[in-house]
Parts: sequence; C-alpha cells; structure tokens
Amino acid sequence: MEELDGEPTVTLIPGVNSKKNQMYFDWGPGEMLVCETSFNKKEKSEMVPSCPFIYIIRKDVDVYSQILRKLFNESHGIFLGLQRIDEELTGKSRKSQLVRVSKNYRSVIRACMEEMHQVAIAAKDPANGRQFSSQVSILSAMELIWNLCEILFIEVAPAGPLLLHLLDWVRLHVCEVDSLSADVLGSENPSKHDSFWNLPGNTQTLTELELKWQHWHEECERYLQDSTFATSPHLESLLKIMLGDEAALLEQKELLSNWYHFLVTRLLYSNPTVKPIDLHYYAQSSLDLFLGGESSPEPLDNILLAAFEFDIHQVIKECSIALSNWWFVAHLTDLLDHCKLLQSHNLYFGSNMREFLLLEYASGLFAHPSLWQLGVDYFDYCPELGRVSLELHIERIPLNTEQKALKVLRICEQRQMTEQVRSICKILAMKAVRNNRLGSALSWSIRAKDAAFATLVSDRFLRDYCERGCFSDLDLIDNLGPAMMLSDRLTFLGKYREFHRMYGEKRFADAASLLLSLMTSRIAPRSFWMTLLTDALPLLEQKQVIFSAEQTYELMRCLEDLTSRRPVHGESDTEQLQDDDIETTKVEMLRLSLARNLARAIIREGSLEGS
Amino acid sequence: MVSVINTVDTSHEDMIHDAQMDYYGTRLATCSSDRSVKIFDVRNGGQILIADLRGHEGPVWQVAWAHPMYGNILASCSYDRKVIIWREENGTWEKSHEHAGHDSSVNSVCWAPHDYGLILACGSSDGAISLLTYTGEGQWEVKKINNAHTIGCNAVSWAPAVVPGSLIDHPSGQKPNYIKRFASGGCDNLIKLWKEEEDGQWKEEQKLEAHSDWVRDVAWAPSIGLPTSTIAGCSQDGRVFIWTCDDASSNTWSPKLLHKFNDVVWHVSWSITANILAVSGGDNKVTLWKESVDGQWVCISDVNKGQGSVSASVTEGQQNEQ
Repeated sequence: MEELDGEPTVTLIPGVNSKKNQMYFDWGPGEMLVCETSFNKKEKSEMVPSCPFIYIIRKDVDVYSQILRKLFNESHGIFLGLQRIDEELTGKSRKSQLVRVSKNYRSVIRACMEEMHQVAIAAKDPANGRQFSSQVSILSAMELIWNLCEILFIEVAPAGPLLLHLLDWVRLHVCEVDSLSADVLGSENPSKHDSFWNLPGNTQTLTELELKWQHWHEECERYLQDSTFATSPHLESLLKIMLGDEAALLEQKELLSNWYHFLVTRLLYSNPTVKPIDLHYYAQSSLDLFLGGESSPEPLDNILLAAFEFDIHQVIKECSIALSNWWFVAHLTDLLDHCKLLQSHNLYFGSNMREFLLLEYASGLFAHPSLWQLGVDYFDYCPELGRVSLELHIERIPLNTEQKALKVLRICEQRQMTEQVRSICKILAMKAVRNNRLGSALSWSIRAKDAAFATLVSDRFLRDYCERGCFSDLDLIDNLGPAMMLSDRLTFLGKYREFHRMYGEKRFADAASLLLSLMTSRIAPRSFWMTLLTDALPLLEQKQVIFSAEQTYELMRCLEDLTSRRPVHGESDTEQLQDDDIETTKVEMLRLSLARNLARAIIREGSLEGS
Repeated sequence: MVSVINTVDTSHEDMIHDAQMDYYGTRLATCSSDRSVKIFDVRNGGQILIADLRGHEGPVWQVAWAHPMYGNILASCSYDRKVIIWREENGTWEKSHEHAGHDSSVNSVCWAPHDYGLILACGSSDGAISLLTYTGEGQWEVKKINNAHTIGCNAVSWAPAVVPGSLIDHPSGQKPNYIKRFASGGCDNLIKLWKEEEDGQWKEEQKLEAHSDWVRDVAWAPSIGLPTSTIAGCSQDGRVFIWTCDDASSNTWSPKLLHKFNDVVWHVSWSITANILAVSGGDNKVTLWKESVDGQWVCISDVNKGQGSVSASVTEGQQNEQ
C-alpha cells in the first residue's frame, strides 16, 4: 500500500506578478500557456497594470538536448529488441539475454556520459560547463542505480557471487569518482581474498567456502585476542578491519567515499557469503552508521536503499521523482517487467506501471520535431492505451513538408488508423488549394476519400478551364481510374477530359456519344451545359455527319431545356443585357448548327449506307 | 520538471483574457480588453507577430482555432455582442464573417469536432446560444437557441465526435450520422446538454444540477476511446464537479465533487490527451488533477505565480488504495 505523497509540488512561474492578478491557464497540444488575467468580466478593467506576457511552458525539455538524443535513439533500438525476445525462452537462456539487454542499456548511458563529459571540459562558458558536468553526474547516478538493479533483480546473483558483483559495482563506480583514496582501501585487501575465492572454475561449493572463511576469520580473531600484533597499532586496526569491525572501518571513513562502499567493505569482512535477502539489514545500518546522524540521506541514497531492500516499486517511485525525464524509469521498468518482477500492482491511472511510464515517455518524445518517430514504436507496445494515445498525438504533428506528411501517413496507414489518414489528407488538400496547387489538392482529396472536397477542387479545375481554355495537371486527371467515382463532379471532370482526348485523337463518333451522355446522364452540372454544347459545334460542323438524328434530337432537347429555364441571378441590368446578347447569339448559332446536322443526318440515315 | 520555454510579449495594452495555441502548437492567438486579437508565430522559441486584428468594439473574451482542414480560421467573441470569424487568405488575415445576432456580450465560442463540418457555438449574456454552420461560398447558416440559460450563458463546450456503429466509407460523399452534442453553463447555476435532432433543431437533452451559483465554465473531455463521457464544470460557488456518463445510450450522469475551493473557480480545461484537468481559480493558482483507477481525483500539481526563477518538478501524487 502506497501512502499519500504529501502535498503536491508547487511550481512557480517566474515573472508572473504577485498577489494582484489571477492566472490564466490553457493547454496547447504539447505545452501549457500561462498568463496574468482578470476573470471578472467587466467592460472596463480597473487601472491595474496588466502584464502583456504569455508564458509557454513545457515538461520534457530534455528531448531538445543534442547529446541525450543519442541516448534516446540508441535505447529505442534496445527497447525494440527486448520486446521481440521470444516469450518462449525460459530459464538460463532467457536470463542471460535479459542481462545482456541490461548491459546494453548501461553502455549507452556510459557512452552518453563520456560524450557529455568531453563537452563539459571543452565548454568555453563556465556556467555551461557546470551544467554539463551536473548532467554527467546525473547520468552517472543513473548508471549506478541501473547497475545495482541489474545485479540484484536481473542477474539475481545467488549468495556467493553476490558480494563479488557488489565489489565490482563499487569498484567501478566509486573508484571512478575517487580514484586515489578508494584504491587504497578497496584494492589492498580484496587481492588477498581474490586468490582465496579462486574465481573462474571455482569447484568449491558455497558451504566449503564458508567453512574456509570461518576458519580464517577465527584465526584472525585469535591473533587479535592474543595481541599478537599489539606492538603495531596499524596492524591491529588492520586486523580489526579484516574482522569486519564497524568502528575500525569507520575510522577510515575518509577512504570510504560513501555508505555503500562502507556496506560492501563491511560485508566483505564480516559476511562475504551474505544472501540477497539479508542484504537489507546491513544496508540500513550501514547508511545510518556512515552518516552518523550528521547529515540526512539524499535522494540517491534512498533509491539505493530501496534497491537493497528489494522494493522495486519504491525504487521506481523515487527515481520518477528525482529525475527530470521519464527515460530512465520507463526503460528500467519495462526491463523489470520482462523479468516478470512487477506484479499487477496498484493500477494507477487506468493502466499498469510499465505502460503508464512508457506512455509518459513516448508523449514527451512527440514534443520533438524528429524524435516523435521513436515515440510511435513505444506506443505500439502499450496494449491498453497505446493506440489511442498514438491517434491523439500523431494528428498534432506539424506537416511542414510533403516528406513529413507522407511519413506520418504511412505510419497511420500501417496501423489502419483510417480516421487520422482521412483527417491529415483533408488538411493537406486544403493547404494545397490555398496555395493554388490544384493537382496536389485533388490527389489528397482522393486519398482522403473526401467527396465534398473533390467536388470543390474539380469545380476549380473546370473554372480554370473556362477561363484559360486548357487544363492543368493533365496527367493526374487522365489517370484517375476508379477514383473518378468519388464524386459526380470529379467523374464529370475525368470524362470531360476524356472527351477532349478523344477529339484530339479524331475519334469523333466516340467523342460525340460521350459528350451527349454527359448531359443526358446529368453528370454535367447545368452551369456547364452551354460550354458542352459549344464544344459540340465543331463536331456538328464537320464534313461528315457525326451526330445521328437521334442524338441531334437529344442535343436540341438539352438546348431547349437550358434556354427555357434560364435562371435570373442578381446581376446588374446592363450586365444581364450584354450576357443576354452573347447568349442569344450562341443559342442561335447552335440552333442553326443542330438544324443543319439534323437535316444531313436524316438524309444519310434515310439513304443507303455508303456516304 | 517543467520549464518556461518561451515568453511571448504580446504588447496588449490591457488585460489578456484568452490565449490559445493552434492545432500544432506553432501559432498563438491572444485577445484582450484592448479590443484586439493578435496572432503570433511561436515556433522554435521565437515570437513573430503575424496579425493584429481589429474589429471588435469592446473587450474580446475568447478566441478559438478551427481545425486546420478548413484552413487557418480563428473565431473571437466580445463584449460588443459580436462574434467575428477571421480567415487567412493568401498569407494575410482578414475578417471573413461577422455575426451580430446577440443582444448582449458574447462570452464563449467553441468549434465543433471537425467531423461535423465547420460549426461554431456561441454563448451569450442574453441567455441565448447561437450555432453558426458554414455552408460554403462564404455563407453561414445561423440557428439560435433562445433562453438557453436565464440571465446568461457563460460557456459552451462540444462533445467529442463519436460515430454510432462502425465507420463505413461513403464514396458518394454522405456523412455518417453523427449525434451532435454540446454542453453549456449559465447563470441559472445549471449545466445543460444539447442534442441535435433529426430535423436539425437543437433540443435540451439534460440538465445537470449541482451548483449553487453561476456556472462559469464547462469542458467536455476529449475521448480516449472508452465509452464513458466526462464533463467538468466549475462555478462561482467555488466547486468543481466532474460528471460522468458510462454509456452513450443510458444518459444518466453522475457528479463527483473534485474539490471545493476557497474562491470562485473561473476556468477548467482538459489536456489534449484527456487525462489531466487544469483548474484556474480566484485563489491565483492553477491546480492539475488526474483520476486514479479507483475513480478518485487526485491533485498532482499546483502551479502558482511567484517571484524568482524556480522550477520544481511535477510529481504524480499517489493515493491510499482504500
């Protein structure tokens, strides 16, 4: 059972004025907006000096760090590999794989640390240098914690080797930081014991080892009691140390850089075959003894203590609080979950701990213009809320380039996120229309299966044709294929273009039938009929008879239909008169052509074939 | 850990009443008592003034961005009883439409989910709610709900689009039949839910009663794929209630008191991924709340104003499993 965490943390927004004004807040897609305001809506605001600043606030600013980016990128690969580890694997082979994954994560942290260290040294501005250095220590702490977790939880070292692992751990981390002092104590005595343990190919059983050690320990005690080394206080205190006497050890405190160094040293001398479950007795007391009531434990100390106590949830919780981004806890928890170490414990916020942390981490990645792609994969491996989270986030990615848009679309299509695909295509279609790229707009509306928009764009095409006498984007229109059926207007556009093609290829009879069918089938919008009829003129005026009598009747019918019901819009009188003039002339011409064609058609059809 | 990544100097000459990021977080729209609406490009930590829109004759209370599939469109409402819709055309922002159908200050504007089309709901102090639907070629159709709230309507918020049944492709351009709903809060201390009937008329579907004073804001939570609907409402009485309805068809809403604050609560808003509610109160603080699995709402952070340059970490509060 977790306890209430006390009061929630207060975040102060710097620069926002004091008690005078209220604070306005709203959410952006990835950030928060804060400004001063007065909620009491009066017409005249009081003469309170108002603050014109709006603060844009974000969590997850670490995504913008250049060096950490490598951490995110490489760990992403390791994460994916881990998810794909065969679930069937059990026992030793599985464990060794998991240990390998853990070591991989650690090496990535170390690489990052190294790089940041270089940058810190090379930094020209001391403030920058300090900042990088502090980042290095944070990364170092992360690796320290992870390493310990690896030993205790993943490797699950049994009684004997446990201490050896811990020795390595201490040597690796402590001796790095405090090279000289730690070396003195750290290396001096274990060398004696190394040979004692006789590491690789150790054929002795734990009990045998323990017996031997007991024997040796008793011998040392006898020496002490016999005051064999009474003449040399140094040797005596050395003997005491080797017996694991805490007081003696603490006398050498300045050589021990921290309490866990003290812990391991103490264990080495007093209980080298310590079992994992007994660790926590020693851990707490080591911490207390080392601090000696002079200082209080720091966050790192608490985390390590929790680890020694095998309280995984506490470790994760403390790390979440102490660290500035979710990277560490998300990946570590995921790994521990794969080790089947997290019980279905305390399902907070609707999903389990692993998923919750991964979701938070992935959401943070979406704040970044290119790291978001990594986030996609993390969402994929969150079975409960991953998909819906991805849907919500992916729509908000700014589509500044065609490339990016296509990338986003591909991701959505791969996951059958049809709603998102549609929405994104619509947005791109609209953008294209506003930039007058009609062809692009049309292909996006087709991809979005947006009939209404396709109609709109088709209308624009047709209007353009009327104004300029030619089509743009012919390739696209010619190759519409079945997409033509998306909207009536689009179908008309496609067919109309086909008509032009046929005419160009001198397939007059086909062109004629098509033209007629466009009107009779009502696919052509009424407003376009005049243009179509005018297009028929050259066909009517050809030497050979193209339109049959039947067809000519149809055309006449269409013309009459059109002229009898001419709509009167709110045009000015003079305009209308002018239009009327032009219209009347056209109509007269058409009537004449149609009549002539009819005559010729009747004659031809009435006589024998051949002319 | 939160950090201030950008400070935008809006140069507004009077109190700012609303600030909204656009869909992608690249542009910021602000409005103020100085009667102007301003738009800034805030990419990469910068601030470039794109537009300074004048047209209102009184303090402007709210701005709202439409979905980008309709282009770059912004709506604003003001004490001058007008709602103005601004549009970016060929790189410049202009007034595209003006709606002057209210007799009193228009307090709130909210765009409907893009799936419904381009529809704007407006709530006014004259007690009416008007719905503007874009029908094409610069034309807007107006539907008005008179006396939606006695004395006045303070806030409107749309329900997320939920498609009944499965979504089938409609190649001929027919839209699937969405049930359009929105919530409004008013000076009659009520939150009302409105539904569009088949004949296109809007009908009052539910009354949510819990407050003892004017309802200042309502916010319908974005959908996260679950069948539950959630609405947050806040009031002059200092209370914030969370209303949930477990099933689209059952229509029973149950309130849960989030918290009783010591002062008027003015504004509630949901984060985009629906899991955090921000509450802005007269106590000069903003608190962030999240629901734990056992249904309790937990305060996870206090965002306060103050001097100095401190940024503390935002932690997730955990609750006793009892």
